[in-house]
Order: sequence, then C-alpha cells, then structure tokens
Amino acid sequence: MTDRSESDRLQKENWFQRTVRRPEIGAFIVMMIIIVALAMASGGKAFNALGLKNNVAIIAQLGIIATGAALLMIAGEFDLSIGPMIAFAGMSIAIMLKWGLPFGLGEATPFLAFLITLLMTLAFGWLIGTIVVKSGLSSFIVTLAFWFFLRGLTEVCFRLINQNTNVSGLPDFKKESWFAEQMGGEVFGWFFDAWYWVGTKFSAGLEFTADMTKSEKIELINYLSFLNINRKMEQWVTGFDARLLWFIIIAGAAWYVLARTQLGSWIYATGDNKESARANGVPVNRVKVGLFMFSAFCATIFATCQVLDTNSSDAAKGMFKELEAIAIAVVGGILMTGGFGTIVGVVFGAITFGLVANAVFFIPWIDGAWFRVFVGTVLLLAVFANERIRKRITGGI
Amino acid sequence: MASKSYMRVENVVKKFGPFTALDDVDLDIAPGEVHALLGDNGAGKSTLIKILSGVHQPTSGSIYVDDKKIFFRNPRDAAAAGIGTVYQDLAINQLMSVTRNFFMGRELTSTFGVLRMDEMDKIAHEEMKKIGIDFSDPSQAVGTMSGGQRQTLAIARAIYFGAKVLILDEPTSALGQKQQMEVLKTIKRVRARGDIAIIFITHNEIHSKLIADRYTFLALGKVIGAGTKKELAGEDIRRLMAGGAEMADLEQELSAI
Ligand SMILES: Nc1ncnc2c1ncn2[C@@H]1O[C@H](COP(=O)(O)OP(=O)(O)OP(=O)(O)O)[C@@H](O)[C@H]1O
Ligand SMILES: [Mg+2]
Repeated sequence: MTDRSESDRLQKENWFQRTVRRPEIGAFIVMMIIIVALAMASGGKAFNALGLKNNVAIIAQLGIIATGAALLMIAGEFDLSIGPMIAFAGMSIAIMLKWGLPFGLGEATPFLAFLITLLMTLAFGWLIGTIVVKSGLSSFIVTLAFWFFLRGLTEVCFRLINQNTNVSGLPDFKKESWFAEQMGGEVFGWFFDAWYWVGTKFSAGLEFTADMTKSEKIELINYLSFLNINRKMEQWVTGFDARLLWFIIIAGAAWYVLARTQLGSWIYATGDNKESARANGVPVNRVKVGLFMFSAFCATIFATCQVLDTNSSDAAKGMFKELEAIAIAVVGGILMTGGFGTIVGVVFGAITFGLVANAVFFIPWIDGAWFRVFVGTVLLLAVFANERIRKRITGGI
Repeated sequence: MASKSYMRVENVVKKFGPFTALDDVDLDIAPGEVHALLGDNGAGKSTLIKILSGVHQPTSGSIYVDDKKIFFRNPRDAAAAGIGTVYQDLAINQLMSVTRNFFMGRELTSTFGVLRMDEMDKIAHEEMKKIGIDFSDPSQAVGTMSGGQRQTLAIARAIYFGAKVLILDEPTSALGQKQQMEVLKTIKRVRARGDIAIIFITHNEIHSKLIADRYTFLALGKVIGAGTKKELAGEDIRRLMAGGAEMADLEQELSAI
C-alpha cells in the first residue's frame, strides 16, 4: 500500500489511444468527411488536375490568414481587422504599381511596393496591439474600430489617388519580376509534370476522332482530366498557385514556433493565464503586440499574392475574411478563451473550409449559400467539442 | 539564529488610488530562517509580497538586498535578485504541461529559442521528485493535478531557479491534512539548507508555531507586532493574528448563537 506512487495512477496509453485523444481529432474527422463527400458528389472532379489546383489555391489563401488569427487567439486576443487589412494592403500595392512610389520617387517594382506596404501594415498591427495592451480594452472592440477605420481609409485612398475604387488591368509583372512570380505565379511544377508523365502512360492510343459522339467526347475529356491531359493531348495544369508555398512556410513556421520554441511557450502562457505568465517573467505585452503584427503580416501576404496573381485590386477585397479566419481557427480546435490549440488543427480546418467554399464549382446543382449554412453548423459543433476538451484538461471547471 | 539579514524592507507604503493597502511597513529577512507573515484577511500580506517580487511597485519606501538599495521594475528584476515567489493563486497555467509550467518564462533553449524539451522534462521530473512528487508524464496538463501537487510544483520551480528568498503565500490553505504536512516538511527541508530565507504566509496558528523562527503581524496595512519566537513567547500570537482583536471569548460568542 505505502509503496504505491503517483506515477502508478496514470494508465499507459498506446499510440492509438493517444491519437484519438489529440485535440485535432475532431477537425481531422470533419475534414475527411468533407473530402470523401466532395469527391463523391463531384464525380471525382474536385480532385482532378485542375480541381486540385483550384482547391489548394483557396485552402492556402484561407490557411495563411487563419494561421495569423490562430496564434493571436492562442495568446487570448482576436483580430477583426484582417479583412480590411487585406483590402488596405491590396490597395496600397496596386496603387503603387499603377501610379508609382509615393512622393514622386519613381516607378514601383512589385517588391518595393510590397515592402512599403508591409511597413505600413506592420505599423498598423503594432498600433492595434499597443492600444490593446496599454488600454486593457477587449481586442474585439479595438479591432472592430480598426475594421471600420481601415475599410474607410482604403476606399478614401482609392478615390483620392485613383478616382475609382478599383485598379484593374495592371501589367503582368510575373515575367519580369522574380518576386512577383513567387507571390502570384506558380510553384511545385514538378508535381504536375510527374502527374502528366504518369498520365501519358495511361492515355496511350487515346485520341479524339471525328466519328465520336458528343457524350463519348465528354467522357474522354473527363478521363483525361484525371491524367492531367487537356483535349489537345498536351499537359493541362503546370503548377500550384504560389500561395501554397507561402501557406507551407507560414503554417510550418507557426507550427515549429508553437511546438518547439520558447516563444511558443510564451504564446500559450499569455493566453492561458496572463497574470501568472507575467509573474513568471513572460513579456506578455510584447508577445501580444508581436502577434497582432504577425496577423497583419499574414493579411499582407494574402493581399500581395492576390494582386500579383490577378493584376488587380478593389476596395471590397477581403470581405468576411476575418470571420472566416476565426471560424477556421475554432474548427481547428483553438479555444476561444486562449491558451490551447495547435497549427495542425488549423490546417485541417483550412482544408475543410477551402473545399466547402469551392464545392459550388464542382457540384453545379448546389446553391453557393449552403457554404455559410455549413460554416455556421460546423462552428457551433466545434465550439461544443472544444469546450469538452477544455473541461477534460482543466479538470472540469 | 539571527544571522545577517539578506533582505530588508523599510517604510514601505502602497496605495491603490485612494486606498492605502500598506502603511509604513518594515520587514527583515535572513537566510536559514522561516519568517511568518501573519494577519487577517485583507491585512495586506499578499500586497507586501507582490512588492517584494516586483509585481507591484511601492508608492514610497525602500527595499535593500545585501544592503544595497534596489528597485524591482518587474518580476524579472526580482527573480534576478533571488526572489522566488509561490503565489496564493500559484502563478500556474492550467492548460499547460507540468514541464512548460516549471520552466515558464525561463525556458531552456538552444539557438533561435528552440526548446530543449527532453532536458526540461528530465529536470522537472527530478526536481519534483526531490521534494516529494513522482510524475511519470511531464506532459500532463497541470489542470488535472491536485492542489498539493501544484504547490509542490511551484516550490520546486522556485528553488530550482536559485531562489535566495522563497515566498510562500498560504501554501497550506487549500490542502488536506497529509498534504499540509508534506508542504511543511518541504519548507523544513528548504530551511535546513541554510542558504534560503523563507517568507511564510498562513492563517494557521499551529503551522506558524511549528516552523516559524520569526514573526511579523500585519493589520489593516500596518505592522502591529514583530519579533523572534523567543521574544514573542509571552505574547498572544492568536490575538495578533486576528489584528489585535480579542479572541478569548470566541467560544462563548459562538455558543450564544
Ligand atoms: N490591485 C489592487 N487594487 C486595489 N486594491 C487592492 C489591490 N490589491 C489588493 N487590494 C486591497 O488591498 C488590501 C490588502 O489585500 P491583500 O491581498 O494584500 O490581503 P491579504 O492580507 O493577502 O489577505 P488574505 O489573507 O485574504 O489573502 C485589500 O483590502 C484589497 O482589497
Ligand atoms: Mg492574500
């Protein structure tokens, strides 16, 4: 009796038991259900060569801002200014590319336009963070104020400088600027090259002939689309949107920081119990301000990719994106109260949301508004699930 | 016993707006001694130790460490001067693991702030074991630990990080009998090292008599009595603990209800 120790009371778990208790498990299951459902409902089209490229593009786009929102939420704060920050950054870059650098300093290259814009958005992030930590006000209300402020500022700048709330038809910078290609161009071409190479092995002898009926032709096109071959029997898709690279970099860095570094420990400590973190010497305020700036950084990357991909921008860009980013973070298992969650969960959340947002393109009979119905439902379920996890960890309080 | 003091507090006043939480408080703390800080609820004990640990700054008055006047701008300053505090609320984060709590704010890192997690797990486990708790899983969340275990974690943490002054704010108040004794034993063990001064806040008369060498009594923000165990031998400790109120007829009062 007396030689029983504390450690005997903890049951050893095997790999499987540990996995199903992981906080991301809910987000993973939802993601798998969506992948399977979408594949079946679209007859696989959602995951043919072009389908995959388009889906990954929106997943990466949402994932970039969700990562920024998630880190901030783990530290116990919200950022409602993500959407307007995207619009502001997009405006700033597009206007510089069209009208040149401020103060008549000459032509703007994409990189310079990005850099100057980033300085401004980081300054806004710093300002928001500083106001939040100094005033002790809820970040909800402070960033709501900046939501209006930045939306208004973006439109005013557009009208004052451009006489119009959008810039379109910019020249395509991707050919001349390496930077523009990395932001708005294509990456991982080898993936689709390999796909095409394998595809050619399965398409040997197939061709379009004059005596084919229309439905036979459609069937053949459909078949070839899974081999990354177009109707001229050439390679169809050549690469992912460059956003994917940025998503991987940003989410990868965020994951590493959270899981393996001192800063990660500080972020968790700040969101869990600010006072105890401070009492132990964690620079709580600097962590928060830094994360508001990181969120602004993510919004700027989002905007830069968008402008350099489409060669245009307008004042309505980034609409609802702050809400989607927060929703993804919550579905990914980040607690609304802070202090808990992982980037792996956020990635699952981003994949789920991206696929559902795009579903309307692959399932023609579906009404696009179902996306919001789905988001609302899943969000509510996720909050309940997260609350259960939180109670399990805190011992039920 | 009365060795040279390590830390001295002189004429400290702390005001929260119009409210005077501490008024002209003196305190003397020496290594190898347990200094009991006693007083009724709201007397200002927690406020005083928050000043000693850099959470609050005094409105006026001075603090000396090793006879040098110092000013703690934040808890980091205090920790650097060897003040290790175990708060009433323990300054522990429920959702985080034992190891991450143990090293909170002072993580072991290699280049670029990368955590040396295995080493940290090992140290946390060993240090906790030294003073009485054997944990098999350092990644367990603290939220699921018992009160005494959390207390031990907080004390082990303070000692490991080189505390010269260990401040314990009501370490026994939320614990069961056996765990209370464990904590008192831990305090004795720390005292026996001889190089650490302990400030011990409690509402428990028996506990304070069991382990304290020196006493300071606070009431409504003022010191109403102080001295070593010997000096106070004739005094009524219980009366001083209650802020000077007569407690003798408590039993009668209670039975009259
Ligand atoms: N941050 C603050 N702002 C305003 N008043 C405060 C603050 N902190 C403490 N006080 C007040 O100072 C007084 C002393 O509080 P303190 O927490 O130091 O008491 P205590 O002696 O530790 O009591 P207990 O035994 O109940 O823990 C109380 O009246 C309290 O309300
Ligand atoms: Mg107290």
